[in-house]
Amino acid sequence: MSSNLTEAAARALPIRSAAYPGGRRDRLEEDVVALFDEFRDPLLRYLSSVGMAFPDCEDVIQEAFFALFQHLHQGKSHDNLRGWLFRVAHNLALKRQYRTRRDLEVPSEPGAENSAMDPAPSPEDQAAYRQTRLRLLAVVEALPEQDRRCLFLRAEGLRYREIAGILDMSLGAVALSLARSLTRVARRAKQCNL
Amino acid sequence: MKREDSHLSDQDLLLNVDGELSTYDGRLARAHLKACWKCRVRRDELENAISGFVRFHHSQFEAKLPPPDGPRALLKAHLAQLAATEPNRSSSWLALLRNLRWALTVAVCILLAVGLFLSNVGRRTSRPQMAIVSIPDGRLTPGAALLVDRRKLCTEPNIKNKEVPVALRRRVLEEYGVASAEPRAYEIDYLITPALGGADDIHNLWPQSYSSTAWNADVKDALEDRLREMVCDGNLDLTEAQREIAANWIAAYKKYFHTDKPLPEAR
Repeated sequence: MSSNLTEAAARALPIRSAAYPGGRRDRLEEDVVALFDEFRDPLLRYLSSVGMAFPDCEDVIQEAFFALFQHLHQGKSHDNLRGWLFRVAHNLALKRQYRTRRDLEVPSEPGAENSAMDPAPSPEDQAAYRQTRLRLLAVVEALPEQDRRCLFLRAEGLRYREIAGILDMSLGAVALSLARSLTRVARRAKQCNL
Repeated sequence: MKREDSHLSDQDLLLNVDGELSTYDGRLARAHLKACWKCRVRRDELENAISGFVRFHHSQFEAKLPPPDGPRALLKAHLAQLAATEPNRSSSWLALLRNLRWALTVAVCILLAVGLFLSNVGRRTSRPQMAIVSIPDGRLTPGAALLVDRRKLCTEPNIKNKEVPVALRRRVLEEYGVASAEPRAYEIDYLITPALGGADDIHNLWPQSYSSTAWNADVKDALEDRLREMVCDGNLDLTEAQREIAANWIAAYKKYFHTDKPLPEAR
């Protein structure tokens, strides 16, 4: 499930490891924008997966990158900026969700199942594929919130230690949560003969 | 997991698939999987569930993610606005202090770099191509540990020997004068294992031979498991375990396994 590319990017961070004293501000801006290009989509997928509407996700991501700029501008740690970004975005999202519970949006509305992304060529296959997705969606939505967060973070390529840091859990709890979720997904996949 | 012949739980299978098991547990898991059809089938089911879930997760968004151009432009505008509203500090006395601090930092860094260079020259010239023994060189690898709470440590899985980054691995081999050695001949091992609070620090890493002596990496793995069990069961103080393994792990093995030579199952 891990993404080697994302993993490599996380190890390669920071893009430029030197601190950014006053005269290097332009370079810092370039680096933050480059990180934005790299991590905006994974952050957007994660935040949307845990129930935020896209406009709110975009706001949170803007705030997170603004905070990242200030973090680096103050000469603070460059270690594992991917984990740092996910943690900050996660916390900002939680705050926002507490403030505006009523604005929460279910991540995938039923109409989305008619998406043009279905790869199956025949109508029968498309119907079977949609059915499978709906079943999988039902399993994932039935998971406890923390388990879903773990699963989505792992699907974005984060390692157990990073997930533990973002969700403030122990490593063992992360491993247990992922095993529990995937056991349910596997059971459903088996029932559907996937 | 404790033994090669015991079946793997879903959690162990997942940790194995994700590369999160310790070296020792990973080796046991692989050996078990080779022999056990049931666990192999279960592992494949979990891997299928992972690939099914990842396909599902990405297909939910592929066509729906808004393009990044607008948000990227917005971020740039925010950053530019921040620059415009920041006070011009270059003329203030704070800027003088800041510049002074930078100058001092740079000077200290240069001094440190020169010191490190000289000490490395000293190290390399005094010990060309040293032979690897089972005990690390105390000057190069005195051991380094984090300040961790025993209870917290024991609730985490026994993830011991995390993969060492290639650059760091190369530095350790260079320090020990075996940079050109066959990579599979050595495990770059933590002197104090992370499972006992050992730090990701070059002072805690050394190239341990897998096979050149009876006191090899497998034997040390067995000791690490024993010490962790004792620490987590409350039979040994964590600091004491760290101290003993850093001081002389072979002596610690003899002490805690009540033997003068490695037990057969550890080799």
